[in-house]
Amino acid sequence: MALGNLIKSWENIMRDDDGVNGTVQVLSQLVWMLFLKVYDIKEDVWELYEDDFQSAIPEKCRWRNWAKGKSQKERMTGDTLVDFVDNTLFPTLKGLTVTAQSSKRLIIVREMMAESYNYMKDGVCIRRAINLLDGIDFDDQTEHHAFNTIYETLLRGLQSAGRSGEFYTPRALTQLITEKVNPQLGKITADFACGTGGFLVDAVEHLRKQVKRAEDSATIEETVFGVEKKQFPYMLCTTNMLLHDVNYPRVTHANSLMKNVRDYKPSEKVDFILMNPPYGGHEQDGIQVNFPSKLRSSETANLFMIEILYRLNDGGRCGVILPDGFLQNDDTSLIAIKEKLFKECNVHTIIRMPGSCFAPYTSISTNLFFFDKTGGTTETWFYRFDLPNNQKFSMKRNPITRDKLSAIDAWWDNRQEIKDKKEDESLTDTWKSLRVPIDAIKDRNYNLDYCGFPDEEKVILSPEETIANFKEERDQLDRELDEKLQVILDMLGVV
Amino acid sequence: MVVADDLRLSILQYAIEGKLSKQLEEDTPVEATLEKLSSIKKHLIQTSAIKKEKPYTGDGTLPFDIPATWRWVRLFDIGELSRGKSKHRPRNDDVLYINGTIPLIQTGDVAAAKKYIKSYGKCYNEIGFAQSRLWKAGTLCITIAANIGDVAILGFDACFPDSVVGFQPFTEDVNIEYIYYMLLAYKRRMNAKATKVAQSNLSLDKMSTMLFPFPPVEEQRRLVGRLNDIMKKVDEYEKIEKQLTELKAALPSSMREAILFAAVQGKLTKQLETDSSVEEYLNAVRTEKAASIFEGLPKRGKFSEAKEYPFDIPNTWEWVRLGDIANLKIGKTPPRGEAKWWHPDYPWVSIADIPDGKTLLQTAESVSSSAFDNFFKSTIIPKGTLLMSFKLTIGKVCVLGIDALHNEAIVSIRPYMDKNMQIRNYLLRILPFISQYGESKNAIKGNTLNATSLSNLPIPFPPVEEQQRIVERLDKLLPLCDELVE
Repeated sequence: MALGNLIKSWENIMRDDDGVNGTVQVLSQLVWMLFLKVYDIKEDVWELYEDDFQSAIPEKCRWRNWAKGKSQKERMTGDTLVDFVDNTLFPTLKGLTVTAQSSKRLIIVREMMAESYNYMKDGVCIRRAINLLDGIDFDDQTEHHAFNTIYETLLRGLQSAGRSGEFYTPRALTQLITEKVNPQLGKITADFACGTGGFLVDAVEHLRKQVKRAEDSATIEETVFGVEKKQFPYMLCTTNMLLHDVNYPRVTHANSLMKNVRDYKPSEKVDFILMNPPYGGHEQDGIQVNFPSKLRSSETANLFMIEILYRLNDGGRCGVILPDGFLQNDDTSLIAIKEKLFKECNVHTIIRMPGSCFAPYTSISTNLFFFDKTGGTTETWFYRFDLPNNQKFSMKRNPITRDKLSAIDAWWDNRQEIKDKKEDESLTDTWKSLRVPIDAIKDRNYNLDYCGFPDEEKVILSPEETIANFKEERDQLDRELDEKLQVILDMLGVV
Repeated sequence: MVVADDLRLSILQYAIEGKLSKQLEEDTPVEATLEKLSSIKKHLIQTSAIKKEKPYTGDGTLPFDIPATWRWVRLFDIGELSRGKSKHRPRNDDVLYINGTIPLIQTGDVAAAKKYIKSYGKCYNEIGFAQSRLWKAGTLCITIAANIGDVAILGFDACFPDSVVGFQPFTEDVNIEYIYYMLLAYKRRMNAKATKVAQSNLSLDKMSTMLFPFPPVEEQRRLVGRLNDIMKKVDEYEKIEKQLTELKAALPSSMREAILFAAVQGKLTKQLETDSSVEEYLNAVRTEKAASIFEGLPKRGKFSEAKEYPFDIPNTWEWVRLGDIANLKIGKTPPRGEAKWWHPDYPWVSIADIPDGKTLLQTAESVSSSAFDNFFKSTIIPKGTLLMSFKLTIGKVCVLGIDALHNEAIVSIRPYMDKNMQIRNYLLRILPFISQYGESKNAIKGNTLNATSLSNLPIPFPPVEEQQRIVERLDKLLPLCDELVE
């Protein structure tokens, strides 16, 4: 089935159903139905390999029974189908009892269905939707791989539903970072803000290349885990992992910032961390109190960095995507965080990526931070990734792919300082690649704006995105203003 | 929104009314301190170290209430207050500065400093120094001309001219940072006392009439500590406030840009099946054009392929080159020196005349009939023609409301086969955006398009009916953006 067609066909079906309104509902409908379908397929595999297999789902609620049916005649449709979904399927799956002995699979099903909702009111449309999904042949390997790409298209499509830039990172970037961080089989790999699971999937595939014995596959499953705060991406991540043949996706639906960093036990520390934390988020005081006061910040990405510092094992490696703000802003708490980072870890590489990586959904410039816990930083290599010939990435015509990043690979193994060509002798020197000693970084108060992009990377967004960005930034600034005013008031009050 | 400056002033006022610090019993009584200062002052006058100031002529009204343990004082009671010195005229005579090494502080340096003056602009040499006076680091500088009431503390020994007054406490019982904050609180009052003329100034006499609240020594110290902490927060607040102001200011233009970009991608209008075919239009143009002549532009035989389309457009549109769909004429400027070319015969447009996006009705300059014949081939550009600037300022557009001529930084654009002006109106709206998009790295660096790049400018070309619909949509949406300005 061609890539674009699944989504288009799906949208057509949804359009015919009065109960479904707006892109978000269209996609969330797809998410739970897709999950149940994928889960059903996995059950076939499990049944084959496990002698003691028993479905976590009551018989009548298994996709093969209610959706597929034993024969054409038995297929539910129309009012019967709607009634079943609303009054049997959902209550049953939401009501599955979870005990200490419950299988992980049962927990996954219940978690996934917990906040799902059936928007569709027309049984005939539901039937059409089911048939569409059933039309995908997962046994065909090409279809299987193609489906993963469809899945990614779906995830990218979510970005146009607004605000979803939070949880999807281009595959090319997650692959690059995973390769360089190079997780090892037997050690623990984690993503504390895993979104839809891009990094987790890449980590799993990376580890699979190291498999030598039968037990190793099980080890992979037990040593890759993710945490995601939001229901939607959490569900997509679980489905994504299932699709990539992880039988027990170890994804927790939680906010990892809610735990006090000082309370982390050694067993909760990990060896490899891959992350693209959300930016511009604002965490409440209730969350901030989990972090040391000198480092405390309302900026979500900063708090995640602190969490990383407390959870990375000695000898561990980390790859994180951070915005320009992290490099350049000079709030006291951020400087303190960077100071701790550079002291406790060896920040060996920072790669500056153009703003068009995430275009046209957002123009934010991002930076890839690579560091490991092998001792303090002595020097950091900076590298700016430029597209040839003034190109820009764009979703349709010039999507960011792994091979387009090959210049980074070439430079990585053979690092040289590279000076930019100057148009005019009177201009100051700028660099594409530079090796900066730690003392220089300290002197600049940890302002890491080296090898930046010479001209302002201007990407023009859609009107909706322009307004959404403005509102987000304005609200964020308003919140910060109010915070500051409160601090000042407090300082005035205590005589 | 609380403006940071107002916040600072109100906090400072709070502070000098004694509301920000505790009045503690164990503090040294302020009368004892003032006695001590008074006798030191007497001694200094006797030894001619300082001059006695004019007697107090104020009316004794107290501006506000202060705690019982504080006292009202004049600056002269607690330290030396005198003007800087710069006897030589003119003040900026080079002879005072050549190879200078002695830092010179001017009113601008005081205004620019945060609390401490840490940098200086000019330096006096020996000669300059001789006609001035060196003040020690730790002196409080107060501006009494230009921006009145700016205060800052010298971070190093320096000279300053008579537009700045220096204050040095008699002893350390007068906390210079406290005085700094105190004077900062008085800034508006000092401005009120200044002469109300174009170049106002505040004389020492006037300053001597001003009364200031003076707390016990220890309380001064405590107050300074608290103010330092609070002011830091206010600075942080100000930074955020500035960001917010900038963000809001940038919104109207970002919105305009986003809307225009959406328009030229076909996202603001429906692509209707009933619209005419762009392909047919282009073929018709090609046929008609084969016979026409181009002025001042390279001859273009056929349509060329756009190698890299700047962005995606709907299927019913086409990418075209500006030179392919419109007749382009670049203007001229007759030699400036020769008066015979410059008579008020024919209006002649330069970039400054262009009313961006509107209809041009008059020009600042005109050229003569002989210029018209000699340089413009006796051909006038008719009313209704679209003009665009493409040098220095790129993308300024208008429609001629009169017949006119124009210079070589402007191109007149006459779309082919455009009886209803639909194409012209479309181009009028989108050219400012298109001309600056995409080729930006090249165009904006030199701020110039040339004849070739102008002719090659890629234009997203919808069916003419859709062009009209786009114009109508933009005319509704764009004015709304302007209303976003607070």
